[in-house]
Order: sequence, then C-alpha cells, then structure tokens
Amino acid sequence: MKKPRRGEAPGPLNINSMMDMMTIILVFLLKSYSSEDVSVAPSDNLQLPFSTAEAAPKLAVNMVVEKGQVIVDGKPILQLGTADDPTKPGSKVPAVPETELQGQLVPKLFDVLTQKATDAKALGERAGGSSKDLGFKGQILMQVDKDMPFNVVRTVMYTAGQAQFGEFKFVVVKLNE
Amino acid sequence: MSERRKVENPDLDLTPIMNLVTILIPTLLMAAQFVHLAVIDSTLPAIGQPQTTEPDPNETPPLNLQLFITAGGLTLMGTGADEILFPDGKPTLQPGEAMPPTIPCKSGAVCTGVEDYDWKALTKKLGVLKDRFPKEQNVILVPDNAVRYELIVSAMDAARADIEVKDENNKSRELFPYVVIAGGAP
Repeated sequence: MKKPRRGEAPGPLNINSMMDMMTIILVFLLKSYSSEDVSVAPSDNLQLPFSTAEAAPKLAVNMVVEKGQVIVDGKPILQLGTADDPTKPGSKVPAVPETELQGQLVPKLFDVLTQKATDAKALGERAGGSSKDLGFKGQILMQVDKDMPFNVVRTVMYTAGQAQFGEFKFVVVKLNE
Repeated sequence: MSERRKVENPDLDLTPIMNLVTILIPTLLMAAQFVHLAVIDSTLPAIGQPQTTEPDPNETPPLNLQLFITAGGLTLMGTGADEILFPDGKPTLQPGEAMPPTIPCKSGAVCTGVEDYDWKALTKKLGVLKDRFPKEQNVILVPDNAVRYELIVSAMDAARADIEVKDENNKSRELFPYVVIAGGAP
C-alpha cells in the first residue's frame, strides 16, 4: 500500500488481520453452538454435581432446588430454611421448614406440580395422542445443588411423586468435555 | 484516464462482511454452551415397574441390590449375595449394633468428603456381583438423611458402569444402570 504523503488523507484502514481474527472466533463459536432444551443459570446457590452420565436432557417440567429456595419452571415456590448440620457441629444446612411440611409432603409444591401435571395431561389429550412428545409421561428435570442434604431432596421427590411425577431426571454437568 | 483505471488495483471492500461477522459473533456467543449437561434417570420405588411375573422356583431369586450411603461408608446388601459381599463370612451382630460398611471410608471411621468414599472399590465389588447376576440391572440407593446430593450422584456413577473396563466397541462395561432412590428412614 502506498504511504500517504504529508498533508494527504490516509488510505482506507486495512482490516484483513481483523477479519482473520473474526473468522477464527466464528469457527470456535460455531463449534460450541448447541441447542439444548435445558438451560442452567449458574449461581452460588446452585452448583450442579459432575457426573460421567451421557444421556442428553429433554424438555420437561423443570424443578430447581437451590440453597435458599425451590423453583418450578422459573417461579420460586418454596423458601428453604436452615437446620444444624448433624455431621459438622456449628454449621448449617438447608432444610424444609417444619411449617411447610404436612407429614412428608410440601403442600405448596404439591399444588403447583399437580397443576403442571393436569395442564400437561390436557395438552396431551388435545393433541389426541398424535404426538408422542406431548403426552404426559411424569418426567421432571431436577437441578439440585450438590451440597443439598438428602432429606430435602427426598421430601421434594416424595412431593413430586405424589403429584404423579415419577420419572426423575437429575441434571448434572458432564465430565471430560 | 482509462489507462489509469486499469493500472489501479483497489482493495476488496470487506466492510459488509465485517458487519455480518460482527452480528454473527454476539448471536453465536449467546447460543454457545460451554458447560455440557447430561441427565441421570431415576424413579421412586413405589412408581417403579412392578414385578408382574410369578417367581419361578427354578430361577435364582431377584438380587434386590441395595446400596446404603452413610457417613461411615458404603454398605451393599442383596439376596443371595452374601458370599460375594462377605468373603470372610457374615459378621454376627449384637442386637442394636449397626452393620459395618462393606466399603469403609479411605481415611477411617467417618468420611470427610466425596473423595474419601472408595468409589473404585464399589465399582469393583459391583462388577463381581454383575458377573454372578448378569441379568440384574437395578440398584436401590438408600442414603442417610444428612448425605449430600453430590454423593448420591457419585454413587449412581459408580453403579452405572465401570469406565475402566471397555468392550470391543470402546464402551464402558454396564453394571447396574437402573437406579431407584429409596425413601430411607425420615
């Protein structure tokens, strides 16, 4: 390219090297492009465990059990309290508050999930069984924080089971990817 | 004038391509997934598939493999599996005494974290059980109340397949892929 003389306007900007860079970024992004049905909003309250599982997640009712609350399809349903950790004296672990419990059942969560099941069934009936994907299969995606004690998980699972969600799909982060 | 145009070799105008790429990059950046997710299937015992067939007296009874996850380690139990689980003979328990774990923690009596549980030993033990009961595919997890969710996932991983043993298609050896989570004592 000709060097502009003093007093002359400079020539057009050379953007070839920038184009090279952009092309590489584009290829990299295309490679990591994915259209998975499930999205996870990472936060301090929800850290998914790692696993060697391979099965891809499918669309279903989405339940998130994070440190402070239980969320169903994006709506916070139940606030979790804390209890003393029996394994480590002095520290606290999340727990379902006694006031929210009816035996093992959490009525607030039960009502929401039952409504979801009813809606899904109605949708399946309207489709008239034409589409297999629309029928109600009782599947529920569970995103649970890795430090959640089992009694919270069990209570939530039991409630989901009572609301006709019997097939649990635990969402985990794939190892070695 | 016409001669001069022939000599001149103007640069290719890359601005429209740049515009396109600049729009494509944020779009793809939004759709890019840097964390790959997977799911583990599980059912509740009550809603699991019921056994409809009558038990055949000639067949071996179902294994009913149970894996207890406690702070002290991992305990396996199964019908007719005592000689594999307790090669030195089943320990005799005093009334009220708890069964010692089949696979104790690496560091001692109480496990300190996920890594302290001996998952490899569990997979190995389950491999031996699978050799003996090749048709069995179910394992029932019975975690203690205080057990962290992370441990349950690790237990499911260890029970699903042995990644160190590969078949001719380079697939891991399948052990007990159907996991049922039992309620445990409230």
